[in-house]
Amino acid sequence: MNSMIYILVQILVIIMAAPLVNGIIKKIKALTQKRKGAPVFQMYFDIYKLLQKNSVVSEVSSWIFKVTPYIVFTTAIAAALLVPVSTKLITQQIPGDFIMLVSILALGRFFMMAAALDTAGTFGGMGSSREAMISSLIEPSILVSLFTVGLISQSTSLPQIMNAVQNTGVPLLHPVYIMVFLALLIVIIAETSRIPVDDPSTHLELTMVHEAMILEYSGRHLALMEYGAAIKQLTFITLLVNILIPSDQLIGFTGIGALALSLVIYLLKVVLLSVIIAIIEVNTVKFRLFSIPNLAALSFILAFLGILQYFILGGSHV
Amino acid sequence: MIVDQLLIKLTEVFAQDIYTAGAENANELYLEVNPEKILEISSYIHLELGYPLILMFANDEQSLKTGYAIYYVFADRTEGLLLIIKTLVDSGKMEILSLSKNIPSASLYEREINDLFGIVPVGHPEAKRLVFHGNWPDGEYPLRKEFDVRHKPVFAKKETDFTKVGGEGVFEVPVGPVHAGIIEPGHFRFSVAGEPIINLEAQLYYVHKGIEKLCEGQSIERCLYVSERISGDETFANSLAYCQAIEKIARVRIPDRAQHTRVVFAELERLTSHLGDLAGICLDAAYGFATFQFRMMRGWAYGAADELCGMRFLRSVNKLGGVRKDFAAGKEAKLREQLQKIRSELEDTVNIIKANSLFIDRVENTGILETKIASDLNAVGPGGRASGLRFDVRKSFPYEVYNQLEFNIPEHHNGDINCRMNTKIEECFESISLMLQALETMPDGNVLEAINSVEPYRFAFGLTEAPRGENIHWVMTGENNTIYRYKIRTPSFCNWPALCHAVKGNIVPDFPLINKSFNLSYAGNDL
Repeated sequence: MNSMIYILVQILVIIMAAPLVNGIIKKIKALTQKRKGAPVFQMYFDIYKLLQKNSVVSEVSSWIFKVTPYIVFTTAIAAALLVPVSTKLITQQIPGDFIMLVSILALGRFFMMAAALDTAGTFGGMGSSREAMISSLIEPSILVSLFTVGLISQSTSLPQIMNAVQNTGVPLLHPVYIMVFLALLIVIIAETSRIPVDDPSTHLELTMVHEAMILEYSGRHLALMEYGAAIKQLTFITLLVNILIPSDQLIGFTGIGALALSLVIYLLKVVLLSVIIAIIEVNTVKFRLFSIPNLAALSFILAFLGILQYFILGGSHV
Repeated sequence: MIVDQLLIKLTEVFAQDIYTAGAENANELYLEVNPEKILEISSYIHLELGYPLILMFANDEQSLKTGYAIYYVFADRTEGLLLIIKTLVDSGKMEILSLSKNIPSASLYEREINDLFGIVPVGHPEAKRLVFHGNWPDGEYPLRKEFDVRHKPVFAKKETDFTKVGGEGVFEVPVGPVHAGIIEPGHFRFSVAGEPIINLEAQLYYVHKGIEKLCEGQSIERCLYVSERISGDETFANSLAYCQAIEKIARVRIPDRAQHTRVVFAELERLTSHLGDLAGICLDAAYGFATFQFRMMRGWAYGAADELCGMRFLRSVNKLGGVRKDFAAGKEAKLREQLQKIRSELEDTVNIIKANSLFIDRVENTGILETKIASDLNAVGPGGRASGLRFDVRKSFPYEVYNQLEFNIPEHHNGDINCRMNTKIEECFESISLMLQALETMPDGNVLEAINSVEPYRFAFGLTEAPRGENIHWVMTGENNTIYRYKIRTPSFCNWPALCHAVKGNIVPDFPLINKSFNLSYAGNDL
């Protein structure tokens, strides 16, 4: 029963909040450009509109092209289930840990790259090869940074890591967590195709990475792809804010009220991180494609320094 | 006089081969020469005298009893002199000797002449179609006089062949002709090895409108409107070049106030265009803040144009013999204020973008156009100036009142995106200063010296510095104030091949940025 409630709350919150992150980032960017910008809820309208439309499928494509949107969407949801939005829900162990999280997302990405090649379009192949390059460089850094926090809490399960971190006071005052925070921030930017790695608002096919892969999609297929990307983005943000900015320990009581308060604080943290991402987007420009490995290396080095510090400084006092 | 000296020098070397010689319109020296000797003569002019070939065109002069003629236009940019070599084509053979091996910039003109006139350049290294694609039937040459302008040719189906690049792991990326975003059509064929570009071939000419043909037989007044519509964002530069040519033919000197007014409009067009280009460069580097700053300033510049003449794109401002109305009267203070506002905002924005090391890293050393290639292809305008070709029609062939105004030509040598961007930034400031000077020194008086009729079969050049560079129009009048032949060469025609060279060795995702730093016109290229 408890796990049913967990799944229900988790899915509801993630699905409801995911498009909001894009809306907030776009709004902040518009305001820095002296524009009014689209409404914060624009992506909800777009998804609603796209879901009512038929999908145009190229005659030369195979079944991979058609199943990919569903795989991308479901893997995103499955990944989201592994990252609790609130620890107030968890009374028992959930199956799956962060290694599984990375693998599930890799499955979705594999199909997305395969589908982009499937239509044999000009830009799909380019997008796939770039995505393969970026993701293979960024994946080690996700794993190493999560292993660092895993070592401290002696677990690879995300709820357990979150619970353990809650007992350490303010994690971001500790060098290990600072390194992990910065490494994961770079991961989020790369994984969610944001400036300086990719430009989500560009119309230039030749410079695209993520957008080039979904260029052939339309209608409800496109809605699923876009929604899947938004959910993946929120999953990463949840991972970052709930591990490194824990807040549930501040709520002294239990029950439905505690859950509600916990979710409100969670949403505020998501908004805060969206603002940080928007500020990074505004203040940087797109890197040259071959400078992206430097950024990935930076992220990996930060994560690696985190793990070294754990061994040198020891984790017991954390 | 410099024209006489040049003629003496040429007669010393090629006395037997020069049939006729005559100076026109003060700085145009026309020589008719022996077509057999054109290779020697052109090489001498190009290599010994160092004059670049800036234009080459054909003219169907059968009704003038001379048959088809080819004009080779060389320019002395330090003395402000045009040397035009004319040869006649044997109507039985319809062939000319190709200059492309000695003078690379002749290549495109010869292919254009081949498509439009059916005059074959013998010995051309890359003799394939330029203006028409495979769907145009063989044997139809629209610029011959016997071709009826209303004739609709049948649709031929032939594949276009692109330059093949071989080797393991090399593949072709076709892009366009329809692109994302609101831009003109053009097909780009990249040969790439992974991301690095080995070769780029641009197939343009999807928007052929037959402008040169349309103008033939039309009244000189009507063609002014056509010239304004050659390229949407170079309206004023094109109509100004046309007006200049007609004014030279009619031997009219336009009033001082009109000359000053034309300077104001020409510079306003340059400012607007450059601000748009700068916004484009920033947009393609995903630099949102700077993009919208430049777009805002361009909006202000458009607003100023609207304020002055009620038309943001400056149509119907020029008139043969001056300008249509005294546009500046009573608006000087408002315009001055607007320009100062743009200048101070521009200074702030430029300071910010130049301090952004990430942005500078993107543009520096990307898309380098080497000086040698630029000069071989006769790259013009900011594209050429960024590569060290420091010339400007406003200085080398001064028109209107530019020789009385003070301005600098930006000096850059590296030829990368950064240099092209800085050239445009500096030119924005020069344009604002030129407008302010022109407003300051503008005398009173009328603005129009009406031209009602012109002599038939006279010809003249109109040269202007369009925002994209050297812009050349050649007009030959016919009977009853009509146009016999109107040849237009916009700066984009020269700079497209330069772009293809600048791209080589760069990576695919940098192409849009390099392309935007040139920002060439498709419509202005394909008439």
